[in-house]
Amino acid sequence: MTSTLNRRRFLAAASAGASALAFGGRALAQEKTINALSHLVHQNVLTKGAAGDVIAPWREAQKAKISWTTLDSNPLQDRLFREASLNATEFNVGYVIDNRMTADVAKLFEPLDAMQKADPIEAFDDLAPGLVKAMTVKDKLVGIPVRHATQALFYNEALLKEAGIAAPPKTLEELVEQAKKLTFTSAAGTPVTGMVLASDLAVFPVMFARAFGGDFITLDFKLMPDREAMQKGLAVLADLLASKALPRSYATTRNDDMVTWMQQGRAAFCVLPFARYAQLNNADQSQFAGKIKAVAFPGSATVSGGAGMSAVVESWAMAIPANAKDKELAWSFIKAVSSKAVTLGMARNGNGPVRISTYADAGFAASQPLAAIESEVLAKARPAFPAFPEAVRAQSVFLEEVQLAVLGRKTPAEAVKAIAERVQPLLPA
Amino acid sequence: MRLERLLIGLGKMVAVILIVLWSVFPIAFVVLSSFKPGRDIFAVPPKFVFTPTFAHYLNLWERWGGFFDGLRNSLIVTVGAALLAVTASSLAGFIYSRHQSRFPAGSIFFLICIRLIPPIVVTLPLFPMVNWLGLNDTHLVLIVLYATFFVSLGTVLMRTFIDQIPRELDEAATIDGASQLTLLVRVILPLAAPGMIAVAVFVVVYAWNEFLFAFIFTATKAKTAPFVLSEMISSVDGVDWGVLFAAATVQLIPVLLFVIVMNRFLVAGLTAGATKG
Repeated sequence: MTSTLNRRRFLAAASAGASALAFGGRALAQEKTINALSHLVHQNVLTKGAAGDVIAPWREAQKAKISWTTLDSNPLQDRLFREASLNATEFNVGYVIDNRMTADVAKLFEPLDAMQKADPIEAFDDLAPGLVKAMTVKDKLVGIPVRHATQALFYNEALLKEAGIAAPPKTLEELVEQAKKLTFTSAAGTPVTGMVLASDLAVFPVMFARAFGGDFITLDFKLMPDREAMQKGLAVLADLLASKALPRSYATTRNDDMVTWMQQGRAAFCVLPFARYAQLNNADQSQFAGKIKAVAFPGSATVSGGAGMSAVVESWAMAIPANAKDKELAWSFIKAVSSKAVTLGMARNGNGPVRISTYADAGFAASQPLAAIESEVLAKARPAFPAFPEAVRAQSVFLEEVQLAVLGRKTPAEAVKAIAERVQPLLPA
Repeated sequence: MRLERLLIGLGKMVAVILIVLWSVFPIAFVVLSSFKPGRDIFAVPPKFVFTPTFAHYLNLWERWGGFFDGLRNSLIVTVGAALLAVTASSLAGFIYSRHQSRFPAGSIFFLICIRLIPPIVVTLPLFPMVNWLGLNDTHLVLIVLYATFFVSLGTVLMRTFIDQIPRELDEAATIDGASQLTLLVRVILPLAAPGMIAVAVFVVVYAWNEFLFAFIFTATKAKTAPFVLSEMISSVDGVDWGVLFAAATVQLIPVLLFVIVMNRFLVAGLTAGATKG
């Protein structure tokens, strides 16, 4: 007996299959579900890594399922705010970046003070006060910090050795010199670029400006308090590009490219959060597993001899949309994630811990080679810019001018002047 | 003369090879990379010889179970949108072809205008409306949206196709006592099947791969495979490219098979009316 596929059979089979799948799925639904809108990293650090699935005990105790919807940072924030502005949302918990929690955005989320008072988070004072402050808007607590990402200077130890460099740089000037020296073809035949930096995030130019004691927007909304420092930072970036120590594709380089370039030995230095250490050294993905190390990003020798550099830190917090269902379960979930044990577990899985006690844990410090450096850098770190309604536009304008300066289309002085003129009107009055 | 012909032939061959390479390279890169060890995917210099691994597919299965739920949702939405668009386009095409008057002739212009509107323009205003209707995060909202964006093109295509069917057949059926519905179902649609398949192919390819509407209007229950693929692209803790390429390969297969199966109908459907005098 033979059977042939004709269009009627094909369409009938497809329709029947789709219907079966549509109705079959309903039987799988569970009663209690937390719908979390997050970045993939938040799911990963809770469920996999050296410490394993650290949220499993909560799931079992609550007989609940966690349904994750993960998006990249900006789409995630847009989606979360849009969901929270509706009459009702399916999402019980959303993750918010510190520089997005403006007064208007805060209105979309449930104030957590009453919940904290009635059913408090374990050792609340142990949470980094600066991160809690970023989630306190008009004296109302609207988010609980769960992760920080503090920027470090990563370097490929093997490439440094191949180029005859004994130790990573201690000042920005040394970094520039080494990056230029490391722009070469390695023994493996790989063309190496001294440094790779993404061009779509304010973090990187801000780090270079801070190396000279400058800044983009301070926490009290002063725009470039030291313009000369910003000019010097941009001049260094332009010099790196001109000497090919930054890739020609700088204008289109993204975060993921930085990781790939480092893993493949195509770049010797990059700036990424400490938490990326595990991924950069992942033997399944990296040609240089175990060879990629990190140090604090060095300041310029002209400012306190390179010491005192304030790195950029970004933090994430969990918040409950004001229009969410089952806020009690959501708070229970947040409490569990913020507990000492889960914070430690997430840190072992690669999360930047928000509890001071985590860094003091002897086991954690011993298992995480960067814990001590990260703790030191975090103590001095501050966000790239504070939260305000036009922060996204301000960052876009800033990056546009930075790119023009780095690519040589404007002088650093012209770019800084343009940043001042274009960003100032966007700042809160 | 002979040398000239040889050179022209050679030039054509080189052009064809370049075009094929240009088109096939990205797909081949994705498919081959899904079988490469993760550390070799972006190696410089590139590694063309490697031991194939199924580890990425295993990881996809173990770590990204949601992707297969997404495929199921994509299938439901795609089949639904294709059926709706083909039905609406066929009915509208029949009216435009067989019942000509000033109103349909003028309205065809507006149908084409709909195709000129970028989807993003209508997306955000639709969001609160869809939410008010309680259709957020349902298959239905995507089915309706995907079908809507293709009914205009589908109608024009079906009208052209039905125009080719001799009106004598309509007259013969009418004399035999057929109603308009019988005429459409028994006479016109069977003869217009290649056109319907051409419309279906357009809708299927679009609905299977569409991201923007899925991103805006779905959340957990109805999210489609392209939405899950976007979740795999993470700027905070990096992308597992091997798993991403494995997922992209799995997503490619059903639509590729569908287009191959329907290819001959597609060519017939698209060339309908090409020689109409």
